[in-house]
Amino acid sequence: MSQPHQIIQVRNLAKTYPGGTEAVRGVSFEVREGEFFGFLGPNGAGKSTTINMLVNLVKRTSGSIVIDGMDLEHNGSEIYSRIGFAMQEIGLDETATAREMLQLHGRLYHMPTAKIDEQIAKLLKLVELEKVADRYASTYSGGMRRRLDLALSLIHEPRVLFLDEPTQGLDPHARQLIWNHLRDLNRQGMTIFLTTHFMDEAEQLCERIAIMDRGQIVTQGTVPELLAQHSAKNLEEVFLKTTGSTIAEEEVNFNAPDPYARRRR
Amino acid sequence: MNSFISDWYYLSIRNIKQIWRPLMALIPSLFIPLFFFLVNSTSFSAFSQVKGFPHVSYRQFIAPVAIFTAIFFSSGNAGIELVQDISNGYLKKLMIMPIHRLTIVLGRLTEVAVLAVFQGTVVLIPLMMIGVRINTGILGVIAMFTMLILFAMAWSCIGMITALRTQNARLVQSLFILVFPFLYMTTSQAPKNLLPGWFAVVATLNPVTSIIEGVRALVLDGWGNPAILQGFITAIVLFTVMVGFTVSSFRRALK
Repeated sequence: MSQPHQIIQVRNLAKTYPGGTEAVRGVSFEVREGEFFGFLGPNGAGKSTTINMLVNLVKRTSGSIVIDGMDLEHNGSEIYSRIGFAMQEIGLDETATAREMLQLHGRLYHMPTAKIDEQIAKLLKLVELEKVADRYASTYSGGMRRRLDLALSLIHEPRVLFLDEPTQGLDPHARQLIWNHLRDLNRQGMTIFLTTHFMDEAEQLCERIAIMDRGQIVTQGTVPELLAQHSAKNLEEVFLKTTGSTIAEEEVNFNAPDPYARRRR
Repeated sequence: MNSFISDWYYLSIRNIKQIWRPLMALIPSLFIPLFFFLVNSTSFSAFSQVKGFPHVSYRQFIAPVAIFTAIFFSSGNAGIELVQDISNGYLKKLMIMPIHRLTIVLGRLTEVAVLAVFQGTVVLIPLMMIGVRINTGILGVIAMFTMLILFAMAWSCIGMITALRTQNARLVQSLFILVFPFLYMTTSQAPKNLLPGWFAVVATLNPVTSIIEGVRALVLDGWGNPAILQGFITAIVLFTVMVGFTVSSFRRALK
């Protein structure tokens, strides 16, 4: 029997920000093609830094990332056409409508016009934004913005979808709607890499979970494996047993510009 | 279409649409330069009688400044829009697309160029209706717009560099006030020979003076005036240096 294709392969991934903060320290994991993989951890554990390194938005200090058999270092452009990313901060053009944004993204992924039109119709229906497709994004509610962001990340039918806290700030109805979309996409064969700090979200959606704390993976496996391994009743118990972070330990992103630095010296 | 050209084209179209969204934001910058022109040309009309003033009306003398001001005022928009893209995360979305990243900067510069032509035309038409003539004709108009577009793109880079290096929207917006010293510490209101000594030195050092004198020469004089060549050289040097710094800041921002 052939081995399942490992669509994401990460080896000894590390990120040290200027100033010395080690946000990610030697992380290694693999994600199989078609898998729904969850990346859990408390705030400041290094989840967002890791996912941003996986899509090349943050430069790694060391380690290797291979996506769909290609090294991210040398095949960025090729990989970008195979991945989608819905970020924690919903990046929308407030001065454009949903349809305009989807059209632009289709063009920038160099898709044929007919395919773009077909995808727009399909995605607007999927995320239930058909009726408001020609309204400016600035008029959308939080849930609508998240759904549009998801549609934008799917316009080019990526093989791997990266999601960073995709349901943060959403009401239960909007959250359920996003979950249903993600389940459907995964059933259709899409590999999904999800970072979240919601236990129920990870438990509901993910086949395999890695828990990260202080820049390292502290445990990984399927939910039953994790429960057995840590003698826990539920995922939350596993989480609490494997992480000990407090709010005071949340990391500061030292890479972010600090306009007040000079005044403080 | 070549993918570099198509990325540039579609990003430019997206940016150009932002010019009139919302429309109300565009209107003041269209009419304020005309307002300044009307106030200044009326208040200081007697200035043209002063000994040493060129043999033209004050209205003719400051008409090129009105066109320049319109373009100068609006060239800061690119930095503001870029910092918005950075702060709301949209730039990151563009960064993980299989596009040529240089086209993100080129798309902004194209927007500046289109806006400059639009703003300049909106001011030029009423000026011509009240009797202002371009002595160098239609070729002179084309030359004037080329010089102004190069300058507008160079000036817009200040906002874009600040946006990329600080990601601070308030700081980028506050750069607008720089327009005033750079516009008024020049020969915009009076010829150099009538300026006090220290002011004349500052005006000579201010590169905006070369642009204003270049445009003024195209409007009032003829092709033989060396100020035209000097204006073009200044615009090209500023464009090359500032675009170079912007591309370098853009690459640094990605690391």
